Amino acid sequence: MFKRNHIVIYFLVAVPIILLLCIMTGSTGFGIPDTGTETGRSILYLRLYRVFTGFVVGAALSCAGAVLQALLRNPLAEPYVIGVSSGAGLGATLAIASGLSAISSATLPFSAFVFAIATLVIVYGLANTAGRISIYGLVLSGVIVSSICSSLLMSIVALSQSHEIQSIMWWLLGNLEVSSRPLFIVSSVLILVGSCGIWLMAPELNALSLGREMAHHVGVRTKLSIAIGLILATLITAAAVSISGLIGFVGLVVPHTVRTITGPDHRRLIPVTAITGGLFLALCDAVARIALAPRELPVGVVTALIGGPFFITILRGRRKQGWIE
Amino acid sequence: MKTVLEFRNVSAGYHSVPVIRNLDLTVTEGQMVGILGPNGAGKTTFLRCITGLCSPMTGIVSIFGSDVTRLPAAERARLIAVVPQELEIPASFTVQEIVMIGRTASLNRWSQPSLCDVKIVERAMVYTDVADIKHRPVTELSGGEKQRVIVAMALAQEPRMILMDEATSHLDMNHRLEIMQIIERLNIEKGVSVIMVSHDLNLTAEFCQRIILMDRGKIAADGKPSEVLTENILSTIYNCNVRVQKNQANGSVCVLPAPRLTSAHSGRGITVHVVAGGGCGEEILRRLNLADYTITSGVLNKGDSDAEVAGVLGIPTVLEKPFSPVSRDILDKALVMAESADIIVVCAVPFGPGNAGNLELAEQALAKGKQVFLIDGISQRDYTYNREATTRAQKLLQNGARVFQNIPELLKALPTSA
Repeated sequence: MFKRNHIVIYFLVAVPIILLLCIMTGSTGFGIPDTGTETGRSILYLRLYRVFTGFVVGAALSCAGAVLQALLRNPLAEPYVIGVSSGAGLGATLAIASGLSAISSATLPFSAFVFAIATLVIVYGLANTAGRISIYGLVLSGVIVSSICSSLLMSIVALSQSHEIQSIMWWLLGNLEVSSRPLFIVSSVLILVGSCGIWLMAPELNALSLGREMAHHVGVRTKLSIAIGLILATLITAAAVSISGLIGFVGLVVPHTVRTITGPDHRRLIPVTAITGGLFLALCDAVARIALAPRELPVGVVTALIGGPFFITILRGRRKQGWIE
Repeated sequence: MKTVLEFRNVSAGYHSVPVIRNLDLTVTEGQMVGILGPNGAGKTTFLRCITGLCSPMTGIVSIFGSDVTRLPAAERARLIAVVPQELEIPASFTVQEIVMIGRTASLNRWSQPSLCDVKIVERAMVYTDVADIKHRPVTELSGGEKQRVIVAMALAQEPRMILMDEATSHLDMNHRLEIMQIIERLNIEKGVSVIMVSHDLNLTAEFCQRIILMDRGKIAADGKPSEVLTENILSTIYNCNVRVQKNQANGSVCVLPAPRLTSAHSGRGITVHVVAGGGCGEEILRRLNLADYTITSGVLNKGDSDAEVAGVLGIPTVLEKPFSPVSRDILDKALVMAESADIIVVCAVPFGPGNAGNLELAEQALAKGKQVFLIDGISQRDYTYNREATTRAQKLLQNGARVFQNIPELLKALPTSA
C-alpha cells in the first residue's frame, strides 16, 4: 500500500515534465518556441493543441482497453485488436464521404459509434461458441471483421474524389493533427464522460474479472453491467477514432504496464491508465515528429512498432499462465 | 424456526430439458445441510436455482420468504454467498482486494470503501486466518490459502446462508477440514445456514445434521446422516457396493466403497483359460481380471492386441510368432497350461486353418470333465477348410459345452468362489 502511494507521487510529478518535453519537441526544432514572434506563438499553439489531442486520444484508447480486458476476461482485448477501431473508422469514413460530417460535428462520432457497436456485436457473436468465448476465437474474429471493415474502407477511399484520398489515408494511419475544432470538443466531452462512467463502474469491473458467475453471486447485475461497460468502451473508442483515425495497441500496452504497478483493482487502475495512456500517446507523437524530421511519421506507426512485440509477449506469457478458460 | 429456503414444486434445467423435477423442500434457519448424489443427479442445478443463475420452469424457489427471481441482485448478495469449487483469478489481485469484492453490493461507487466495509473485510480475513497475508497477490498462494481467501470473500458479504459447491473437493485432507471447521464455526456462532454440495460422503456426514440424497433430479432420501447413509440406499443410488460403519471416534457414519468385499462375482481361486485373438478377447480378459479370476491365455500371436492386453494385465500367455500358424509344439505348451485351468472360455475369434488347433484346448478340457464356454456364432467366423471349426464346435456342444451371447451372461454363468 505504502509503496503504491509512493509510485503515485512520482507519477504526479512526472506528468507535467513529460508534457512539457512533448511541447518542446517538434519538426521545427527542440525548445519552447519564441512567444515574442507571430510564428513562434502559432507554433506553440499548434504544439499545445497537438499534445492535448494526443493526451485525450491516448487516455480514451487505454481506458477502453482496460475495460475490454476485464469484461471479456481476455488479456489481448483491445479496441484495435478486436476490430472495434476499424468499425468506427468505417463509420467515420462513410460520414466524411457521404458529406454527413459537414452537417454537424456530432454526426461523425455518432456514425463511428454506431458502426463500432455493430462490429463489436458481430465479433462477439463470431467468437461465441455455446456460451464460451475463447481467447483466440475473439482475436481471430476481430482480425477477420477488422480486415473486412478495412477493405470496405479502402473501396470508399478508391471511389472518392482525388483530393480527399490523401487526407483520409493520412487519417487512417493515425494522425493527431485535428482539422475541426468543434469535432475535437464534442469527442473530448464524450471521452471525458465515458471515462468517468467507466471509473464509477470499478466495483463491478473488479467483480466481473472473477467471472460472470462470481460477479452474480456478490450482487452484480451482470448482463446490465457488461452491456453498459461495453457501450462505454465503444463510445470512447469511437470518439477517439473520430479525432485521430486508427491508432493501434495503445489499449494493450498501457493497461498491462499500469497493472504491474498499481495492481488490477479498477478503482486505481482506470484513472492511472487514463493518465498514462495520455502521456504514452503524447510521447509517441513526439517521437513521430522528430524521428525523421523534418518529415513526420504517422503516430499509429510508432504505437504499432512498440505494441506489436508487446502483443506477442503477452500472447506467449499468458498462454502458460492460463489466464482464461 | 424460520424457513430460509423453500422449493415449491420446482422443475428446472437447460434448453427446456428438466434436470430437477417437481422438487419440494424446506430448510430452516441454522441448519447445515449436505446435498449428495451421483454425477448428473441435479445437485449443481439445485444450487443454481437458489442463486438465481437458473430460473425454474415451474414452481417457486424462495429464500428468506421472497422469490429468488424477483429479488434485487444486491439484496440477494446480502442473503446468500457462494463458495465455488475453484475460482480462476486472472490478474494479481491482493488478498485484501479480493475479499473487498465480497462487499461489491454495498460499496459506494462515488467514494472509497467506507470504514465499515474495511472493518468487515478485516474481520472476515481474521476469521479465515488470511489477515497476515492480506497484501500478497492471490496468484502466489497455495490451493488451501486461496480457498480460505474465497471463503473470506463470501464472509465479507455477511450472508445469512452460505452455499458450498464442492468447495473442498480439490483440497487435501488437512485443508479440507480447515475449511469445514471455519464454516461450522460460522454456523454455530452466527447461526448462518449452510448448504453444501459434495462428493465426500464422510465429510458431509461428519459436519451436517441433515443430508439430502438426490438421484435423477429428485430427492431420494432426506434425513439424519445415519438414516440416509445406509448400505441399502447407497448401493441402489450409486449402483455400487458400499459398507457403512459407525465412526467410533465421533459417532458419525463412515462409508467405504467395497467392490471386492461383497461382490457377487468374485472368482478368487478359480482359473480360467481364455482362447482369444484379434482383439475379441480384450473386454473379457479385463472383466475377468476385475472379478478376481486367475486367468491364462493362448495360443495368441505375438503383437496381437489381445496378447498386448494380456501382457499389461500380467496374464500368463502362450505365444506364437507374429502372423504365423500355431505350430504343434506351441499348442502342446498351451495344452499343458490349460490342463491346470478349471474353465475354458472361447471368445468370438475368427477361426482359420492357422488357429483352429486352439479348439483342441476345449476338447481336452471337456474330456476331463471341465466346463467349456463358447460364444455364439462360430459358424459365421469360420474360415477353415470344409468348415472344420464349425463341426468341431458342434461336437463340443453335444459333449456338454455351453453357449453364451455376451459378457454379462458369461459372468453370470461362471462359477464363483463364494
